[in-house]
This record gives sequence, structure tokens and C-alpha cells, in this order.
Amino acid sequence: MSYDDIRERARLGRYPIRGGGARRKIPTFDDLTFLTASASRYPLEGYREHCATRTVLGAKNARDPVVLEIPITIAGMSFGALSAQAKEALGRAASEVGTSTTTGDGGMTPEERMSSKTLVYQCLPSRYGFNPDDLRAADAIEIVLGQGAKPGGGGMLMGQKLGPRVAAMRTLPEGIDQRSACRHPDWTGPDDLLIKIEELREATGWRVPVFVKIGATRVYHDVRLAAVAGADVVVVDGMQGGTGATQDVFIEHTGIPTLAAVRQAADALADFPEVKLIVSGGIRSGADVAKALALGADAVSIGVAALVALGCNDTVHDFGPASYDDLGTTPGDCTACHTGGCPVGIATQSPGLAARLDPVRGAQRVANYLRALTMETTMLARACGKADVHHLEPEDLVALTVEAAAMARVPLAGTEWIPGR
Amino acid sequence: MCGITAIQVRDAALRPKLGELITAMLGQVADRGPDSAGIMIYPEKRVLKGVGHPTTLATEWRLHEISGTQAIAHTRMATESAITAAHCHPFVVGDALSLVHNGSFANHHTIRRELTAQGVEFDSDNDSEVAARFLAYRMAQGDDLEKAIRLLCERFDGFYTLAIQTPQAFAVVRDIIACKPAIIAETPGWVAMASEYRALAVLPGIESARVYEPEPEEVYLWTLT
Repeated sequence: MSYDDIRERARLGRYPIRGGGARRKIPTFDDLTFLTASASRYPLEGYREHCATRTVLGAKNARDPVVLEIPITIAGMSFGALSAQAKEALGRAASEVGTSTTTGDGGMTPEERMSSKTLVYQCLPSRYGFNPDDLRAADAIEIVLGQGAKPGGGGMLMGQKLGPRVAAMRTLPEGIDQRSACRHPDWTGPDDLLIKIEELREATGWRVPVFVKIGATRVYHDVRLAAVAGADVVVVDGMQGGTGATQDVFIEHTGIPTLAAVRQAADALADFPEVKLIVSGGIRSGADVAKALALGADAVSIGVAALVALGCNDTVHDFGPASYDDLGTTPGDCTACHTGGCPVGIATQSPGLAARLDPVRGAQRVANYLRALTMETTMLARACGKADVHHLEPEDLVALTVEAAAMARVPLAGTEWIPGR
Repeated sequence: MCGITAIQVRDAALRPKLGELITAMLGQVADRGPDSAGIMIYPEKRVLKGVGHPTTLATEWRLHEISGTQAIAHTRMATESAITAAHCHPFVVGDALSLVHNGSFANHHTIRRELTAQGVEFDSDNDSEVAARFLAYRMAQGDDLEKAIRLLCERFDGFYTLAIQTPQAFAVVRDIIACKPAIIAETPGWVAMASEYRALAVLPGIESARVYEPEPEEVYLWTLT
């Protein structure tokens, strides 16, 4: 902690709050590299030879499994944390490229239901806005036990963002700071999670898959227990995972890196081949996607990256009076999601700021980004000789640092050595 | 990185000469795999494997003296696993199913883990053994040889020309891109395949044989009557 951090706490008498994910240096997928094909194996042609990306989630128990054209989904982000325009743009983009988007704390808006072909409905500890009608309108349900930015902590929405519509959806007074529960009110532990999953299946007539999302901490045990409790899909969010607002101490000092989490999660699901794994937290490029898949994920989720594609932190803008400076933040280094003063209209409930985001234009950028990630992923898979991105395997990777080798359990580049083996 | 060749003899008069025929064929694919070689003979179910030049090994084994209905042979230039007799093809698994592979699989580690989880045991770390075990596993689950080969094509990435024999059948399949060479020749007396035509040119009656290149992902299957 720097002296400035101490001074900030001395001034405030409380902890600093911000948006985004962990920003300190930790091992990431960048510390791995692919062993693509040459003589001992053969690569596939980039443009002529097919590489499948279709991803099916929840075929075990659901009558209507989630079928995605690409292995990249949009993570849960609430209407409240995001503007209605941002939610609509994400839904439009996901639908255009054939993937899913996810609600968040505070429930489902008609706009996001209409714009999203495949919508995952979150069941969070707060139950704000959660109701059986929206539950039945969803294509999948995601029971959220935690998220990578704040595993063990509850949601947070500052009063500036509790405008009339958000407050009404959450049955809260306008303008108060909302601090959501960190634990579900009606169950704790895997034995009762099993009952909760059955309850949600019954409420939806066993039609849709049930996901369980955890923040990456004791990953092996948590993922195994989610599978034992009957989850169709387990979502593991690593410590780089972002948030709209939480205590800085949570963001930087809880959970484990996504790189370490994915391997533990895959190990935990070795005995549950029908349970699928989604990994999130710091996924930015097709290389990240391909590496996550190689280490055992069936799909990844993106949150912050989708928002950046949408225009978050854009340096080029023509906003008129209330620009970054006036809102007290800097483009390129803005984590002011919690203040509601989002200069680009994404993380705000101010009608004036939200109007800065054109959902159609924004959707185009996000769809382009998703297409580019998919192309990068298939490019690497083909170079490894795979006709399906899901055929990537840990043996296709080596690590550039000892730490990454130990966490991902792949050999240090140029050696056969996996630390601890 | 290998040479493969196999024959099914239909004409009973030719069966005493099986050893001579396969010895000549093996000699023509030796350059493709000078590290080691292996062969399986039917109906005797005799497996011979060794490290060294294939022609030398054939002499040591007195291969030319053998008679029988079918033979399947492989000469190996190792890619990612060790040069030992245990790594030699054919991989003989299940109910005397033998498989030889020219090429290299790209996702065999995952399939090996899946089969291991189902209780399948392996003798080597060779990628080709995974294909043999996969076929035997599918056949133990009730699939016939043709269905099992089709499932293999769906599940395996990489490049392959495979020849497979069971006591009653002989099959050939290539991957969807058909990068690795393969040629088939058929006469009323025999059907044979090899990585290169030169290995078929040594067979009696080749002048009048139907000679063709197998199509990608098409399963060629001949049954002994």
C-alpha cells in the first residue's frame, strides 16, 4: 500500500471503492505459449480448413440446452451497474454472433430480454428483482455464489446509480447505497444447493440449464461440490474478474488468478464429463480464450473486455460539457464505474450520460470484438492441428515463468519440468 | 512419419505365400520408417516387433516363410514418442484388432484421459495406440468396426492413414484432408494397401489390379469369407 492509499483512508475514514478488476501483477495467460505444429504434427490451413467453435452447455439435464456458435459469452453485469443502453448493446452484439448474455443483480429488463437471443438469468443472494416470471423467460439460470472481484463479498451499488427505475426494480429507496447480501438467504452449502437447483429446475419445468458461478478461491472443492449438487455448468471467475463497484481491498487481495483456477476446476470436473466449465476473469484476446480452453474450459466469459469494446475508457470522444475531466476521471485509467459518472454512458444511470451510448453502434463494436476473438482462437487451434477449438489440450501449452508452470501445471518452456511434479 | 502396408489374401492358393508377399511389400516402405518395424499375421495372431532396419528385421524373423490370410505391417520414423519395440505398430488390442498409423494425431492426450477414465489401460504413450484402444473400446460398447472407425474420424484431430485388421476384416481410412499417402489395389485373389505404390507393384497380378487412391474419411472395408 502506498502513502497515498494511507492518506486516502485517513481522509475518508473508510475503505476506497472502485470498479474494474485486480490491477496488480499476477501470473496470467500471457505467461503461457502454444506449441503449434510443424514436423511432428501438422497445422490446419487458416482459411480453407474448418475449425468448429460451436459450444453446447447443459445437455445433461435441460430439455433445451444452451447452444452457442462461439465459446465466448458475455458475463453477468446488472442493469444498475450498467445503463439500459449498455445492456441492450451487449444483448444485440451477443445475438448477432450467436452467443449468450447474462443479467445481474437487480433483475431482467425487457430491453435486454428482447435484444438477447440467449439470456442467462442470475439468481443472486440479494434476490433484487428476482421473480418467477422472468425466471421462466430465461434460457438458463445462473446461481451466483460469488464473483472473482469479491469472492465472499456481496454486491454494491452506490446511491448515485439508484435512479427511479433501478430502485423500483430492486424495491429500494432511490439514492441510497445498496450493499447486497454475500450469502443466499435460503440455503448455504452444497447439500442445500442441491435442493435449490431442483427447485429452480421444477420452476422452469427442467427446460433450461442451471449454472453455478463461483469466485475462484478453493476452486477444486467448490467446483466439485457444484457438480455434485447437480449444476449443468460451473462458472469460475478468477481474481482478475471485474466489478461495477466494490472495496479495493477485495479486488486486490482475494481469490486466485484465473490461470490457476482453470486447471483446478478442470481437475474437479474430471469425474463429471457432462458438466461444462466456463472460465472468466481477465480474458482479453483470442490467445486468452484458446489457453483457457486448452487448460480445460468449455467456454469463457468476458465482462470488462466487452465494456472496453463498447467504448469504456475511449480516448476519442465528442461529449460536450461533461467530459472525463469534469467527471473527475481520466480516459485510459478510468475505474469510476461506481460513481455513476461514466463519461461514455456505459456504467451510469444518468439519462444525459447514458444517451451518449448508441446501442446499435456499440453493439457493432462488441460484435466485431467477439468475431475477432473467435478468429484468433481458431487461428491458434488450427495451428495446433485442431479441427475444433475444444480439442485444444494442456499438452499444447508451455509456460514462460516458473510461477505459471506451477499454476497451470504445464512444463516450463524448453524443459519437461512441471514444478511440484 | 511411417510406412504402412497390409494385405488380405482371398485366393487360398496364394495363402502359403503370404510371408513372401508381405516381406517384399515391407521392403518397399522401409525408407519411410527406418527406426523400427512391426507386423501382425492372421489367422495365427502372431505379432513381431523390433528396433532396427525393417529389411534386417524381416530376415531375422524369417518373415518370408510365414503363411496365412492377412498381414499388416508398419515401418516407423518416430515423432513424439520413444524408439522401442513397445512403441512399434501394429497396436494389437481387444479381440485381435491390429492398427497401423501413418501420420500424427493432435488431440490424443485428451482422448487417452477419457478412455483411461473408462478403465481402458495402455501399453505405451504412443498416439496411435490411442486410436487402436478407441476402436476396441467402441467395439466393446457394441459398435461394429465400420461405426467405430466413423466415430474415430469424428473424434480425432490430426493426420492419418490407418489400416486396421481383425481376424475377419481389413479396413482402411484416411483423415478428412487425406494428407498422408495411401494407395489400394484389388484383384480377385487379394486386396492390399500401402503408403506408396511401389509396395504394391511387387504383388502378383498387379498389372490387372484395380488400383485407386482412398477418398478422405471414407471407410474401406473387406471381409474374409
